[in-house]
Amino acid sequence: MDDRLRAALDVIEARSGGYADDLAEFVRIPSISTAPEHGPDVAAAAVWVAARLQRAGFPEVRTVDTPGNAVVVGRWQVDPALPTVVIYGHYDVQPAEPLELWASPPFEPEVRDGRLYGRGASDDKGAVLVAMQAVEAWASAAGAPPVNVTFLVEGEEEIGSPHLPTFLREHEELLAGDLAISADGSMLGVEQPSLTVGNRGLAGCQIDVTGASSDLHSGMYGGVVPNPLEGLARILAAMHDDRGRITVPGFYDGVKEPSQAVRDAIAALPSDDAAELAAVGLASWTGEEGYSPLERRWVRPTFEVNGLWGGYQGEGVKTVLPNAAHAKITCRLVEGQDPDRVLDAIEAYVQQLTPAGLTASIERLPGKARAYEMPLDHPSIAIASGCLEEVYGKPPLLTWVGGTVPVASDFRSLLGMGCLYFAFGEPDNQIHAPNEFFRLETLRRGTLATARLLHAMAGQADALKRS
Amino acid sequence: MRGEGCEARTGVGRGRVWGEGMDAGAGGAAGRGWLNGRRSVMDDALTQALAYAEKRTEDYTQDLLDFVAIPSVSTDPDHEQDIGAAAVWAAARLQRAGVPEVRAIDTPGHPVVVGRWQVDPSKPTIVIYGHYDVQPPDNLDLWETPPFEPEVREGKVFGRGASASKGSMLVPIQAVEAWASAAGAPPVNVTFVLEGEEVSLSPHLPTFLREHKEVLGGDLALSSDGAMFGADAPSLTVASRGNCGCEVVVQGAATDLHSGAYGGPVPNTLLALARILSSLHDMHGRVAVPGFYDGVHEPSEAVRAAIANIPFDGAVEAKALGLRSWIGEEGYTPQERMWVRPTLDATGLGGGYQGEGIKTVLPSEARAKISCRLVPGQDPERILGAIETFVHDRAPEGVTVHVTRLPGSARAYAMPLDHPALETAARSIEAVYGKRPFPMWMGATVPAAEQFHSILGMWCLYYAFAEFDNGQHTPNEFYRIDTLRRGTAATIRLLQALEATPLP
Repeated sequence: MDDRLRAALDVIEARSGGYADDLAEFVRIPSISTAPEHGPDVAAAAVWVAARLQRAGFPEVRTVDTPGNAVVVGRWQVDPALPTVVIYGHYDVQPAEPLELWASPPFEPEVRDGRLYGRGASDDKGAVLVAMQAVEAWASAAGAPPVNVTFLVEGEEEIGSPHLPTFLREHEELLAGDLAISADGSMLGVEQPSLTVGNRGLAGCQIDVTGASSDLHSGMYGGVVPNPLEGLARILAAMHDDRGRITVPGFYDGVKEPSQAVRDAIAALPSDDAAELAAVGLASWTGEEGYSPLERRWVRPTFEVNGLWGGYQGEGVKTVLPNAAHAKITCRLVEGQDPDRVLDAIEAYVQQLTPAGLTASIERLPGKARAYEMPLDHPSIAIASGCLEEVYGKPPLLTWVGGTVPVASDFRSLLGMGCLYFAFGEPDNQIHAPNEFFRLETLRRGTLATARLLHAMAGQADALKRS
Repeated sequence: MRGEGCEARTGVGRGRVWGEGMDAGAGGAAGRGWLNGRRSVMDDALTQALAYAEKRTEDYTQDLLDFVAIPSVSTDPDHEQDIGAAAVWAAARLQRAGVPEVRAIDTPGHPVVVGRWQVDPSKPTIVIYGHYDVQPPDNLDLWETPPFEPEVREGKVFGRGASASKGSMLVPIQAVEAWASAAGAPPVNVTFVLEGEEVSLSPHLPTFLREHKEVLGGDLALSSDGAMFGADAPSLTVASRGNCGCEVVVQGAATDLHSGAYGGPVPNTLLALARILSSLHDMHGRVAVPGFYDGVHEPSEAVRAAIANIPFDGAVEAKALGLRSWIGEEGYTPQERMWVRPTLDATGLGGGYQGEGIKTVLPSEARAKISCRLVPGQDPERILGAIETFVHDRAPEGVTVHVTRLPGSARAYAMPLDHPALETAARSIEAVYGKRPFPMWMGATVPAAEQFHSILGMWCLYYAFAEFDNGQHTPNEFYRIDTLRRGTAATIRLLQALEATPLP
């Protein structure tokens, strides 16, 4: 083994006991990007990330303002002859509700059974730290990383990265590189490394249905006044047919059937349906006919209701005919779907479905993103596979992410580089749900694997350039 | 509409709707021939009672302001103390009016305030119903002034409960007080029953009535809760719809899941709930729950004609409510749908993320509240059973559904249209308003009316001074000060006239 790599790995083994303290400090900042009242916390998290990059040895660290939350950029230009990798992560987190379901408070991180619990521990604060620790270890062991490294840590991932495309466009030179590496993503299992080769896109909107000009007494007006709750229910109930397909006209335009290679790779994955179902407390899967549950999660688009409300939700009875009902919708998109066209199609369909006497309006929510797919024969996949195998003792499988990392398709379309997912979250980490956690062992192994990856990429500039 | 049991005694023909073509002199229900010996004494007393009340409008207004300032929201456990305070206030007000026997009686829920004035066992006993609890104010931003800091603007008291039912509950107390002042006592025996759970649909009132049958016995009940058609369009309510409700809870996965990671093969509880709710009505606006209409009779021609004569301007009303058009069950007018046809509505809906922006979550649970308005012939428990079966049948694969029955079921109530008390009430109102009231139907539910009838065996006359435009249950509820005045005068008259009315 290369001496410098050996030294870097030794540094990591020696320091890994302290990684949890850093993560706890980071998780303690409630950087919830969906809630405007957490603006100061989001800003504090950006400062924390910048300081952490400096501590890791990055000579050039900046927090760059956007019309939204700041982007933290850290650059380490070692040698123009070396390849440049751009490592992506985010410092913002999901809201923590419902709070009552957390065993310990979401922003008072706690280590239990080798896991650090707290909102954002896995998504994405732990993952961001993994990559920084790897560079830091190289800096300690060899004075610098083996490749040029640019960190790009944003604060709007959980709201769909609305300002990132513009940011990438405006900082094309600063961010130039050969390959992007996303630290946001997930492994197949704790002992089963995997490489993600695609993710779904996102399009979201809110549907508001209104009837009378104010709430009315259900006794006095029940039976004659159009009920927005039932009207909205009718609209939503019409969105799928009996075979689980989305009925919005035009929704599937441009969607290609998954290739046989993709279907084979998915079918080759170890999958224990019974265990998966038990883990989420379900008796059976539902969804679109003709596709396996994993295909439905990864390479087929969806229409989901994330929130639905109207009228009286308190205790007991209030005999009110509400005058408004609301639904939050997000669609997961696959290659070939344009978020704006999907929202256009939904809007037209909602108008067509709105019952007489009611008015429906659509508000497009920020965060739309196209899907991303990495060609299965891209050289970075082979390089990354080797590094993971060294650490985990077995080669990674190829997987897809059902969720959305808008940055992957943005790197490709705006900066002309491919995006390799090299991310260490695990599927049981409860991301976006109560009791999110990150394993301390994953902090260690992820850092080891990333240190190896940086090393393996030196000298591969030409191969990596292919996007 | 039921009319059985009364026509033989009153001589009013079967099928004839009360009020139809009657002039003030017709009907004979309150003939006064046998009263000759004391008419002048009583008329003097009536004059004095009316004069007393006429001078007290300012006091009445202040009382109402004080009463409304107590936030007696009975559906919210946080207001438990306020409920107690409102009961004490109501009891004290009865004492101040001169009612000799006043008690606040505990129930498993909120106390019932009972005030009795036994004047003379040979006189009829009138049981006056009211309630001191109020609806939650909700939507606080829509109130021009805070709901529990009542304010007088343009001759109206604004505040939650001003109209439903604190103002209209004070009216009969003021009438009794006026009689006490003028004649030392009211002209009939009076028992007040003021409860604190009407807004929760009176869950403990039936047991209370059963357990206090003797104390509460009487010849006629009078509900101060209700409303008239308009300030210049007096009406007498002859029926009210019943009510029942339930909560539907849809459960999917054990916890909320990420919609990216799991969207596709995991059942969406919100969509499942939407499917259930979307199937509650058919394309003709009829409730699609099998068995829902069992036992429901078509409104008679007489009832339909009386309803058609009510000066309800559908176009104006729809505009006022911000509606482009009425909706509902085909084959019935909007008025019929509101008053004599049963309905089913979703009244609340919640699940998943409701904050700003987006949260890409697959919620593990979704909830809806359903409320039905019932007509005579429908049994609330059977309706809830039918809904439960229907909801389970409609639940999509992959989710489980639970239905919880909400408290406060009530049957519908309908008074015989030729009941003599209606004619007496009509005359008393006409004497004050200068207009003869027309028969009116109430879409809402006053469970007490049906309970007084089925448990205590007396008919319940709606003699309620409030108007449909008062914004009961919505923001900026108000009560006209003039209604305090006119209602009190009309009730002073009614109490006297009931003494001579046959009460079947």
